[in-house]
Amino acid sequence: MTAVDIPRFIRADGPDKVTGSGRYAADLVLPGMLWAKFRYADHPHARIVSLDTTTARAMPGVLAVLTADSVPDVRYSAGVADRRLFARDVVRFEGEVVAAVAATTAEAAQAAAAAIDVVYEPLPAVVDPEAALAADSPLVHTDWESYDADSATVREGNVASFSSISLGDAQAAMADAHTVVTSRYEADASHAVPIEPRAVVAQWEGDKVTIWSSTQVPFDARAGVCQTLELPTNRVRIIVPHLGGGFGGKCGFHYEAHIAALARMAKRPVKLVFSRREEFLAPDRRREGMVVDITTGLDAEGNILARTGGLVIDNGAYIADAAFFPQIAAMHVAGPYRIPNLHIDSRLVYTNHQPSGSVRAPTAPQACWAVESHTDELARAAGLDPVEFRRRNIVTSGSVGPAGQTYDDIGLADCLEAAVDLIDYGDESQTDENAVADEAVGVAVGWWPSFPGASGAYVRIDDDGKGQIVTGAQECGTGAVMTLRQLAADELGLDPTDFEIVYQDTAAAPYDTGATGSQTLLNNGRAVVEASQQVAEQLKSLAAEKLEAAVGDIVLADGHASVAGTPTSSVTITELAAEAAGGELLLGHGSGTPGEYPELVGATCIGDHGVAAWASPQFSCHAVRIRLDRDTGVVRVLQVAAAHDSGTIINPMGALGQVHGGIMMGVGQALTEATIYDDQGRQRNPMLLEYKLQTAADAPEVTVQFIESGTPGQGPKGAKGLAEAPNVATAAAIANAVAKLVGRPVRQLPMTAERIWTAMQESDHGHDGERR
Amino acid sequence: MSPFTIAHDVDEATALMADGACVVAGGTDLVVGHRQGKAPLPARLVAIDRITELTGIGPSDEAIEPGGLRIGSLVTHAELMTNDTIVGGYTALADGAALVGSPSTRAAGTIGGNVMNASPAMDTGAPLVVLGARFELASGNGRRIVGPLELWTGPGTTSASDDELLVACHLRARTARSGSAYVRLEYRRAMEIAVVGAAASVSLDDNDGVAAIRVALTAVGPTILEVHGLAELEGHRIDDQLLTDVADIARSTATPISDLRAGEAYRRHTVGVMAHRAVAAATARAWGDSVAVPVNRSVGIGASAPTSGGFE
Repeated sequence: MTAVDIPRFIRADGPDKVTGSGRYAADLVLPGMLWAKFRYADHPHARIVSLDTTTARAMPGVLAVLTADSVPDVRYSAGVADRRLFARDVVRFEGEVVAAVAATTAEAAQAAAAAIDVVYEPLPAVVDPEAALAADSPLVHTDWESYDADSATVREGNVASFSSISLGDAQAAMADAHTVVTSRYEADASHAVPIEPRAVVAQWEGDKVTIWSSTQVPFDARAGVCQTLELPTNRVRIIVPHLGGGFGGKCGFHYEAHIAALARMAKRPVKLVFSRREEFLAPDRRREGMVVDITTGLDAEGNILARTGGLVIDNGAYIADAAFFPQIAAMHVAGPYRIPNLHIDSRLVYTNHQPSGSVRAPTAPQACWAVESHTDELARAAGLDPVEFRRRNIVTSGSVGPAGQTYDDIGLADCLEAAVDLIDYGDESQTDENAVADEAVGVAVGWWPSFPGASGAYVRIDDDGKGQIVTGAQECGTGAVMTLRQLAADELGLDPTDFEIVYQDTAAAPYDTGATGSQTLLNNGRAVVEASQQVAEQLKSLAAEKLEAAVGDIVLADGHASVAGTPTSSVTITELAAEAAGGELLLGHGSGTPGEYPELVGATCIGDHGVAAWASPQFSCHAVRIRLDRDTGVVRVLQVAAAHDSGTIINPMGALGQVHGGIMMGVGQALTEATIYDDQGRQRNPMLLEYKLQTAADAPEVTVQFIESGTPGQGPKGAKGLAEAPNVATAAAIANAVAKLVGRPVRQLPMTAERIWTAMQESDHGHDGERR
Repeated sequence: MSPFTIAHDVDEATALMADGACVVAGGTDLVVGHRQGKAPLPARLVAIDRITELTGIGPSDEAIEPGGLRIGSLVTHAELMTNDTIVGGYTALADGAALVGSPSTRAAGTIGGNVMNASPAMDTGAPLVVLGARFELASGNGRRIVGPLELWTGPGTTSASDDELLVACHLRARTARSGSAYVRLEYRRAMEIAVVGAAASVSLDDNDGVAAIRVALTAVGPTILEVHGLAELEGHRIDDQLLTDVADIARSTATPISDLRAGEAYRRHTVGVMAHRAVAAATARAWGDSVAVPVNRSVGIGASAPTSGGFE
């Protein structure tokens, strides 16, 4: 799809953001407002021997100091309740909050936080997730057995969550295989790095609190505040001003309760604004490090017979929302392939690192990088072109996937062909065999589920014929401000710009899971359509009466209600709205029935968090062309061709934005983005100078094609999710291009220039010998 | 005494510095350094950005550098990378300035701040060395001229006293048939800091042999390092063997460390690659070939184009 095909209308929040008139949480100023600062753990793992706030409390300007003793003793987190608002007895990562201060200036708050006297007894830090599995490893949580946990989460010692997926008999099939390839891949942790570091402002009025927060999930944040401060839901209101990006980094419940508790104690509004350094160190939303061991057996024709795999995922100190990670990572190590015999064990392991949590397509970019690198190794072992190998083995409509799900109408095969066409795959094989090439094309396929769930919206039309959508949806790139208006306008025969959208306020809107799981269009879109349809019915009734026609004959289009086939018999929606204003108001509410999750046949899933059966799965293929500077190992990505099956594309401009953004994150993950730790579990590069994001100057040429398959059970008009899928396969495709040029895979992610150069030195001394 | 004073001339500035005030011009290091916790903000600042004597690019004093170029310490990176005289004749400095940070950093950051901050990773440092720069320092006791390798004593430290202000950089007069270039290793194409870098200046004799050659290295030692032992190359034609020799000598000069940006062995290898490319680009410029500024975008650093060749 090219730029000229894209219908354009101005996104509702665009002018605010472009002109600088928009207000973000950090911009808010309330009368009498105080500044909050946290005292963080001084050690990645230590026992708190004593904690004395006397000096800090007496400092000028200090109005509140909180520790674990100041708030209800509540443990929380989804899956496993393993943490508290403030550390009690033990600190388990360097960014753990030990105490909080509110003071009249940020400097006074910082000085008081530093003056809190904490005496620690350092404990041995658990920093290697594989070593943490040993029987004699120190435990990150010695009392893990006493924690409340949901029944799906399988735990043992440092294993926070275990999942396995088995299908057929992998051991027996492997023994019969013609070719067996074993690979190991290691991915570093990384970060979401939203451009806006988070900010929270809390203000109490009587026994009710309003919290302005830069969260992607205000309803989750509200639930966290209610749980930890023991408040009923209707006394907590979360408002999200404009959000400066999230990428999953702002999912979950973070500091809303800390700031609300400070504001309550100080009897003043309190504001927290994170520095970039804090944004790197403190939230429980790091992209997890991962070690993948994978073995695949092929028959003589290059068909996959069996796969076994073992994953070790670095969870960090607390589970956050990561209990499902082992299972979804295992699905990615299986990949969108027909694998009749499969066994994958996957472990999420506690360490004294910052906690991991959902960052855009959690676990997928790393696991896809591993499995797709492995797939190119398989192709080479089978003597097949990597694209041809994929043609033989990928899931297609009607085939059974690795966890026993039968896929309906899916577009993966079309994605593969589209991407290789867009990048002119194969033309590089024309070059002279003896010349040392410095350009290559790599191809990778990816997938990602859609997540049907609860959501709600109100739609109304006011007396002037203009509409309002009140939604729980978030806008941090979800496209809610564009697509929801489009959906309502389509149902009501109006223009998208006729609608204003009220969003990001828990007191105004019904529940929504927020900007998470690529779900906004899928679920909130469904709710908006249903609410709009109610209003449409009202309009049609009014029009039918006025035009003396049957309700079923009324058509809403172009701002008019008309009798089908008799366009002259027509009334404007504005006129109907004015009439309704004096009687039964034009008011709709919608939630709709979430789509169903498919059935798995024949697979055994232990530690089943419901993410092996994929509703409306999305598929993708990315093909990249790179250039390698052989003297330095520096890679430049020249071109990315991306083909995506995300069902019907409702808003092409928003969809292209998702794909471009996901690809740029993928380039960073592939080449430069890594969080580096010292041997005590401290981050060495919590700053943008040393954590190397890609810049606009690095952006490749991107071409995109959408494969609009008709998968049953999707969202409105046949849409699936799209926010996370473009982030899945880019790093993998780059890896396969790099491996072609280097002569072997680079087995660490990111594939930094230095790692590539090192692999090239090793290539000069023969193959890396992982194959047998 | 005021915590913030705007100085109108060099004497006023140096008097305040002698009294303990710290200089601010572009402010791109001072505030960032404070936020990173490297150094507290000073109690007193003297702003030097309105001192006319510190501005401008023009001929050097006959007494200091006859026929040479004077660059006021307030000259920004944005000016350096676009000034016709520098781009035309002192090109390595334009190459280096063009790679610094972002457009906003380059618009605010000054060469004086760069020099006196004395980072071994500064992109203008190696170019200044190979262009024969010397620095004019002023204080209440008068003025003195020092060379870069006398000035820079370690990472972030200089031999200047607290009351000495950098007035200007003086570059040696450019000789005929000469060229210079600065090349650095970078992992991305904007907002980057040198992992390693190398500057070279080359003058050719009438037989296309080396009349003079200087090479200096970025981020492989406690200060910018000059590569010595190149004199034996004089008179030789510049071919692949000579470039390989330069790379080897550069590698043996380097004393790199391992840090977040690169390991020791990788730095030592790549600084040789950078030296090789810098001499190649400087030579092309000495021949009169057009090699666009910055070299990083024209000869393939970061694999943006096929790597340099053509030196048979």
